[in-house]
Amino acid sequence: MSAKITLRRVTASVALVALLAACASPVANGAFDEVADTTEQRIGKRPLWIKSEQEEQTVREALDRLLAKPLTADDAVQVALLNNRRLQAGFAELGIGAADLTSSWRPANPGFTYGRLRGGGETEIERAVTLDALSLLVLPISAGIESRRYERTKLNTATEVLSLAARTQRAWYEAVAAEQIAKYAVDVREAADAQAELARRMKQVGNFSMLAYAREQLFYADTTARVAKARMAATAARERLGRLMGLWGRDMAFKLPERLPDIPKQPRDIENIEAKAIAERLDVRMAKANAEATRKANGLTQATRFVNVLETGLMRNSETGNKDKTGYEISIEVPIFDFGDAKATKAENLYMQSVNLLADTAINARSAAREAYTGYRTAYDLAQHYAFHIIPLRQKVSEEMVLRYNGMLISTFELLADARDQIADVSAALEAQRDFWIADTDLTFVTIAPVDASGSPSSLGMVAARSGAAGH
Amino acid sequence: MLSRRTLFAAAASGIAATAVSRTALANLPDPVYSPGPKTAPPPQPSSGRPFNPVVTLNGWSAPWRMNGDWKEFHLVAEPVVRELAPGMKANLWGYNGSSPGPTIEAVEGDKVRLFVTNKLPEHTTIHWHGQLLPSGMDGVGGLSQPHIKPGETYVYEFQLRKSGTFMYHPHADEMVQMAMGLMGMFIVHPRDPNQYRVDRDFVFLMSAYDIDPGAATPKVAEMLNFNLWTWNSRVFPGIDSLPVRLGDRVRIRFGNLTMTNHPIHLHGYHFSVTGTDGGWVPPSARWPEVTIDAPVGAMRAFEFDADAPGDWAFHCHKSHHTMNAMGHDVPTMIGVDHRGMTKRLVSLIPDYMTMGERGMADMGEMEMPLPDNTLPMMSGSGPFGPLEMGGMFTVVKVREGLARGDYRDPGWYRNPPGTVAYKLNASSINAAPQPPKPTHNH
Repeated sequence: MSAKITLRRVTASVALVALLAACASPVANGAFDEVADTTEQRIGKRPLWIKSEQEEQTVREALDRLLAKPLTADDAVQVALLNNRRLQAGFAELGIGAADLTSSWRPANPGFTYGRLRGGGETEIERAVTLDALSLLVLPISAGIESRRYERTKLNTATEVLSLAARTQRAWYEAVAAEQIAKYAVDVREAADAQAELARRMKQVGNFSMLAYAREQLFYADTTARVAKARMAATAARERLGRLMGLWGRDMAFKLPERLPDIPKQPRDIENIEAKAIAERLDVRMAKANAEATRKANGLTQATRFVNVLETGLMRNSETGNKDKTGYEISIEVPIFDFGDAKATKAENLYMQSVNLLADTAINARSAAREAYTGYRTAYDLAQHYAFHIIPLRQKVSEEMVLRYNGMLISTFELLADARDQIADVSAALEAQRDFWIADTDLTFVTIAPVDASGSPSSLGMVAARSGAAGH
Repeated sequence: MLSRRTLFAAAASGIAATAVSRTALANLPDPVYSPGPKTAPPPQPSSGRPFNPVVTLNGWSAPWRMNGDWKEFHLVAEPVVRELAPGMKANLWGYNGSSPGPTIEAVEGDKVRLFVTNKLPEHTTIHWHGQLLPSGMDGVGGLSQPHIKPGETYVYEFQLRKSGTFMYHPHADEMVQMAMGLMGMFIVHPRDPNQYRVDRDFVFLMSAYDIDPGAATPKVAEMLNFNLWTWNSRVFPGIDSLPVRLGDRVRIRFGNLTMTNHPIHLHGYHFSVTGTDGGWVPPSARWPEVTIDAPVGAMRAFEFDADAPGDWAFHCHKSHHTMNAMGHDVPTMIGVDHRGMTKRLVSLIPDYMTMGERGMADMGEMEMPLPDNTLPMMSGSGPFGPLEMGGMFTVVKVREGLARGDYRDPGWYRNPPGTVAYKLNASSINAAPQPPKPTHNH
């Protein structure tokens, strides 16, 4: 029920967005292509901006094809890029931004002034049509600012696309692992069930006390609870993945592979990962572009001395006054003389602010890259440790337990208890394997875009992009 | 200038027995090492007073040298590897290459000088269990003498006042050292070789070990829950049989250095208890038995005339002591319905096999892979099938026509026709019983 409502809302907003986008079509399409190119260069997959029924049809066919077989991690990312509705909503930002950009190219509308004087039984009405000369003067500047703003919107959109890709990839590993762990939990319950049944028969013929019997039954009951929890975790993970892929209804029956991919024989060795992050990451690029723009604006400020091009809002609100002899007077102060130095100081500070923000972004990017690599290596070593030490040792333990059973040194119940222990270790090994692939995903994305551990974009979301003022 | 003491120190400090020339150690008799785990036929004494030597089951007797009127032995306490039975070796502590150490044999009235070299990682002593001797020779570390430190050699000197069956073992960290197998028999023969003369005189020492299946070193902290009950640190089927010539007078002596008593039982005979810790039982005080209980830390001897040919079981009557390593927490599976269970269990434990639902006798027949260095719980087979025995069990084989000093295994007994229990057939109910022919081939 609520899903339907949500969908309707989404559809409605998509329709609105499409309308807006259509208004600024050529610019917005170019921008989308840039975003798609950025995405493809970095992760080898393109999003699609659904603006027509035909495109929707294309997406539907692609989904049908991808969902027909067990989804790979790549497939899941592709589905999300094509089908995530929030992403589509994000593409609308490009359309909205394009509209802003287009209007910035046009001069401000002419003004209309009306005055009424009354004295000596006479009334004088003065009418004037004014044309905002200043707005004409600053038009190229405001257009420049708008286009930089639009650049930011594009980078933000690309970040959003990459963030979705990262979150989807992580969710895929989590979902596959959770299903695998749930399956093992079922195996444990099977062992416990056999054990409980054997205990029941032991009790029946008088070989087991009520205490021994009850203990075995208790264990079975406990494993049943564990299965429920593991299944719930698997369902939650699957739902998370489904949401990111924008799936509902029968599409939610998508299949996942039975097991996680094996960990690679050799860990990735990324040279100069910090330099790579500085060169490639979208947030660093954005901060760089911002500092550059501020620097240019600073130069302009020094030339004109009164136009603050760093705050677009102020520029847009600029008005002109008109003179009036006898009547009331509308007087608007033009800050030519007083504000000159102050403005210059402010501009310098704004520039230094952007430079420092750039430095901070770069430091964060370097740190995130280092951390991701360390996390990756640790996860790799741990997964290896589980796969090549703990699991073989666990198998050795089980083999030796069977040998002891053969010698009647231990009982069937001890063998079964060992089977349970084994499954606990197998689950831990699976978790290590999953954590490796998640760390691998993080490592891939850390040089591309600011995607934090929870998979959401760390600094700039859609809303920030929409309302953010320049210089921040 | 080398004093005797520094010589000993040099001998023990690792340059040790083999590296130091005999002339350098001229004061010390060479220690003689174990010839192996099989029973060594007894050599007649080559020097000193004559006596009728004993047969140490799966062991041997220590050679000596005469030094004036002193009979000198050299015991070296050291880590040894003892085969408990084919397929299992134990890391023990012993003397002269084996656990138990060699049997010391001497004659009542002998003056014995016993050199004891310590090559263990900790100090030790030797207590001459049951001997009447000066207090300072009694071997209780800290009480009657300083401990023998690693690398040191001590000398014990005393005169043997009574004949009988004795033992030797450490009296320093003795719980650990006996749990590791440090012990041996000490037989003092009567001055008159014809007093209490027998034709075959067997001796063994009982010891118990707790060795985790798959391991080789005993757990020294165990008190009662041992899993390997041994005679001379051997378990059946690793214990040699006792070959006896039909008509022989036979003596069997044993000491008990385990932590529980052992009711030792011989099939086929009523025997007389002829010896205890205190010496010989006067003939008038002997009592007939088929089982004689050996308390902890005690020695016993019994005798019988081997007039009944056959293969006669000889064992401790505590049934757990004739099993070898077994689980003590294994629930009883007898009578439990296993239908459908095996299949389910195999899906979880691929090598699973149902056992014990009828009893444990399956173990005697099945050959299943076991942990390394572990003996099957019940093993050894006889002419009619699995013996389902381990631990403190062997066979007294009474045969016609064995040579006097022949202790070789004569094989399985051939039962004369009509003297073996037989299966009742429907056709034989009305007819005179026709016993089947024995299936053995000896």
